[in-house]
Amino acid sequence: MAQVKLNHIEKVYEGGFNAAKDINLHVKNKEFVVFVGPSGCGKSTLLRMIAGLEEITSGELYIGEDDVTTTPAKNRGIAMVFQNYALYPHMTVYQNMAFGLKIKKVNKKEIYERVMEASKILELEDLMDKRPGQMSGGQRQRVAIGRAIVRHPKVFLFDEPLSNLDAKLRGQMRVEIAKLHTKLDATMIYVTHDQVEAMTLGDRIAVLNDGRLEQFDTPMNLYNKPDNIFVARFIGSPPMNLIEGQLSNQEKGLRFKDTSGNLEFDIPEDFQKRLIAYTDKRVILGVRSESITDKRDAASINFQGTIATIELLGNEQIIAVTGLTDTVICRVSTKRVCALEDTVELFMDISSIYFFDKESEQRII
Amino acid sequence: MAITFLYPFFWMIMASLTPEKLIGSLTFIPDSFTFNNYLAMFGKIPIGRALLNSMFVSSVITLGVILIGAMVGYALAKTRFMGRNFIFYLIIFTMTLPFQITLIPNYITIVKLGWVDQYTALIIPFLVNNFAILMFRQSFMSVPQALIDAARIDGCSELRIIFQVLFPSIIPTIVTVGILTFMTTWNEVLWPLIVVRDEMVMTMPQLVTLFSVGGRADAQLGVKLASAVLLALPIMIAYSFFQKYFIQSMASSGIK
Repeated sequence: MAQVKLNHIEKVYEGGFNAAKDINLHVKNKEFVVFVGPSGCGKSTLLRMIAGLEEITSGELYIGEDDVTTTPAKNRGIAMVFQNYALYPHMTVYQNMAFGLKIKKVNKKEIYERVMEASKILELEDLMDKRPGQMSGGQRQRVAIGRAIVRHPKVFLFDEPLSNLDAKLRGQMRVEIAKLHTKLDATMIYVTHDQVEAMTLGDRIAVLNDGRLEQFDTPMNLYNKPDNIFVARFIGSPPMNLIEGQLSNQEKGLRFKDTSGNLEFDIPEDFQKRLIAYTDKRVILGVRSESITDKRDAASINFQGTIATIELLGNEQIIAVTGLTDTVICRVSTKRVCALEDTVELFMDISSIYFFDKESEQRII
Repeated sequence: MAITFLYPFFWMIMASLTPEKLIGSLTFIPDSFTFNNYLAMFGKIPIGRALLNSMFVSSVITLGVILIGAMVGYALAKTRFMGRNFIFYLIIFTMTLPFQITLIPNYITIVKLGWVDQYTALIIPFLVNNFAILMFRQSFMSVPQALIDAARIDGCSELRIIFQVLFPSIIPTIVTVGILTFMTTWNEVLWPLIVVRDEMVMTMPQLVTLFSVGGRADAQLGVKLASAVLLALPIMIAYSFFQKYFIQSMASSGIK
């Protein structure tokens, strides 16, 4: 097992498209790191560069202590699991798993032992003689993971392995992959666009956007301390509410007023110092949906809005409210009967709010 | 439709089995059968040797076309290099050139290389086939990239990827290219006529053509037809073996 280090990694395609921009990242030994981001953000490209399937335009890549920037894929000591399984269709499960070892000229007895060991871990013993075409998606993905395990790699790479599975199976496989990580005690890098997968699996998560690394941190830090607007919007469902407004200096200190004028409040003491530089400047207020409810609280301020949409989830309802600069999404208990076009009074907990610089989009608080 | 195609063929087989003097009044099923026409033919020309020559030449070409076509097709479909599209369009362009245009320059090359009357003259000019390259390129394009990536991580070389990992997925294409190449090579008359004069190197169609048209059959229709049957036989046998794949591939490749 080994660490993975990316130093100033860049990827520029022939047409000039820049898929990875100065990526610096250090995946520790035995760590489970998830690359997450919207489609086209460069997360798969980054993984493929680590795998050696895509050339690195500039920068250095280390796996363990070795510089593998130009090493061919087969010599990097990695194993990869693909979204569409990529099993060899004409081979049985056993042959699929043994193929890489056979090419490496590992002796037959050892191949057999390693394949059997992996098949036991993944409960594939009964499927050894089947071909990929005769199996379900979940089984195929297990074989693909098995094929990775038998290689005894230093690093496991997963490229959206669960995207082709249905929701229920995806949940099961997610648990299995998490178990596997504990069992194998291996370094794993996992690419997904699904933030639930990212949050539940990752020790740390790298959020990528447009080829740039936006933030690399633990799931809780990404949620509670997003570095910028992109991360704040990307992590969490529903995404964080953003309300544009201005700060002004009043007698009692700083005061926030949103562009529509319907939301106005004094900035709490603790935040004053850090916001003073933004006096008379435009800022963006960030509030998570769970911090806006229909219940009054000591630290909350109230505002009124009109209900635009209602999503009933059973234990709670998510309503979108207009009236401020932008539509605000909040969580309300199902006990309250809501109807479209109703005017509601809502309470925002201002002890858990964020402020972002409008220009740089970086978090101030 | 089928009858219009099959009738002349059936007639040919029947006529070749009929004694010479009865051919003129041939009915659907002849009254008496004879193998004399075949025996006469064997006596007059080295048709056995020609059959072996044809087998050898067609097999080597077919094998070569599949191997080279697959390699070039793979490179054009799955690797990135400068001028890839230009090369591909150049290959497509050569398909528009009729064989007759390159006939003379090719002949001159063969003479200069000293390959006249040799198997190399019959084989080497046909080893690279633009149609096969196109077919292989199209099939490889439809193979998911992840399969190739997986093989690469497993430690496969490019050749192993083509022949061990991808070939089993494109069997219909291989069979189609194989049959078409074998068929065209088998039936090729013009080129052998130009580069080969030695009867021992001649292929079957060449020998049969010379035999029928060149007057050595002594205007005996039965003998001519017997040689024609022998000429058509191997292709028919091959086709009947592979027709399942053939139809499948034709349907999927969109080539008529």
